Amino acid sequence: MSAEPIVRVSNLHKWFGMLHVLSDVSLVVQPREVVCLIGRSGSGKSTLLRCINFLEEPSHGIIEVDGLKVEGGAKGKDHRQQIHDLRLKTGMVFQEFNLFPHMSVLENVIEGPVTVKGMDRDQAIALAEENLDSVGMLFKRDEYPLRLSGGQKQRVAIARALTMQPRVMLFDEPTSALDPELIGEVLNVMKKVAKDGMTMLVVTHEMGFARDVADRVLVMSDGEIIEDDKPNELFTNPKDQRTKALIERYRSGEG
Amino acid sequence: MDAPPFSLQAAMNTNLSLTKNDPHHEMGTALVALQKRQKTLQGIKIGAVWAALIALLITGLLLLNIEPAYIFGHFYVILQGAWVTIYVSLASIAIASLLALIGSIARLSANPIAQGVSGFYVSVIRGTPLLIQIFIIYQGLPQIGQQISKLGFPALGKLFILEAIPAGILALSLNYGAYMTEIFRAGLQSIGHGQREAAIALGMTPWQVLRRVILPQAIRIIIPDVGNQFIAMQKDSALVYVMGVWEITYLANKYARRDSKFMEMFLIAAAAYWVLTIVSTYFQNKLEKRMAKAYER
Repeated sequence: MSAEPIVRVSNLHKWFGMLHVLSDVSLVVQPREVVCLIGRSGSGKSTLLRCINFLEEPSHGIIEVDGLKVEGGAKGKDHRQQIHDLRLKTGMVFQEFNLFPHMSVLENVIEGPVTVKGMDRDQAIALAEENLDSVGMLFKRDEYPLRLSGGQKQRVAIARALTMQPRVMLFDEPTSALDPELIGEVLNVMKKVAKDGMTMLVVTHEMGFARDVADRVLVMSDGEIIEDDKPNELFTNPKDQRTKALIERYRSGEG
Repeated sequence: MDAPPFSLQAAMNTNLSLTKNDPHHEMGTALVALQKRQKTLQGIKIGAVWAALIALLITGLLLLNIEPAYIFGHFYVILQGAWVTIYVSLASIAIASLLALIGSIARLSANPIAQGVSGFYVSVIRGTPLLIQIFIIYQGLPQIGQQISKLGFPALGKLFILEAIPAGILALSLNYGAYMTEIFRAGLQSIGHGQREAAIALGMTPWQVLRRVILPQAIRIIIPDVGNQFIAMQKDSALVYVMGVWEITYLANKYARRDSKFMEMFLIAAAAYWVLTIVSTYFQNKLEKRMAKAYER
């Protein structure tokens, strides 16, 4: 395990006004690793994820992805360029899918490569079709998002992020807005993405997914990472009292 | 082997119940046909009410002390003015939309100069009457032009001396641009934050986010309001008659004075505006339907 980490978060702080939502968070992710972030709502897990691609500007600290170091709270043109480059290295999947409703499925997926990367349209379409096929959505290629189910939308959103060919995929509660019967199809696609060797950071409440797919599970509470362990160890033998309580809550919710 | 109970709602909402495999296919088609008939009947009834009201309106007008023959003899006069009204309104709504687009983007930008200029523009224009703005542009701009010429810049000064029609278009554009800035701003802001975030996460620049994601969606929300503004503007364009633009109201006024037929001429003018509104409404509806394409289930 001497590989260079692909994501390194160092001494990250985030303030919303007087609210200190992330307090001195550090974290390292190895290539091809799948890391799940769990914790109660308000624990800061989504904010941590959103700081990694600067959807939230960190108040302090350094984000490093694939060798690109970006300092939180910096200003100026170079900083903006760095953030742009950082976003090209990260793909993001949102809780609410956020597909572009005025574009067809295919147009949604090629939008990034064509507009942002300046990729040739035909080449982008070929890549998009490949990714739509891998999430099982090629048959809805020319449909508009409004006519898709939540699960289908999220699968398209995953294909959209993958088509940008990122080094790391960030998932922000990807199944929380879905009807229960649609969660499985999205989790299966995510498993497939993980199996294909993608580095993934997943904020989730799906304990089953964390247990089966994650290489590591991080538990967050009050803006800090309170536990960081292999899922087996963490779920059977939690060290922190708050982790125990959290797992209990999920158990009773699931059972 | 009971088939599920037939639901009208379900039949109307999905095409599934209308497949040949459905044992109740005929019941579904019959109900759909019934709904169609009811819709047609409703249309006929509303049409009849319109016809009755128009008859009532005409009866009322005939009670006025007017000469119907004069009206029929002078329709063509107003038709000449209608082209000017259409031309002035179309040019003004186009320029006003451009101003509104720039104004709203400026208003929402982080740049203090852009925000200040846009806010000042909207405040001054919305805070003063259109008629006074028209006077200032028509009477005041040439005076400024003369002063500038005196200072030794005749070429620049000349730009301030406008013909009646360009001056009218300028006044209407500036005025409607301010109101429409607020419409555009609301339209841009109505697009959910998630859309912006998704675009940003893909690596788009602020300009790309606006052009590729926010504007195309906002336009659909803005279009009905712009149509409404256009319809209002057709009537407000009557005010530029004070500049001597030969549009509907100017011509109506001219003939009314010459022949002392005020009621007759203004009735023709009113009818002309009404017809313009009906035509505009028709095109507006067509445009809205076209833009709804992606949003039909």
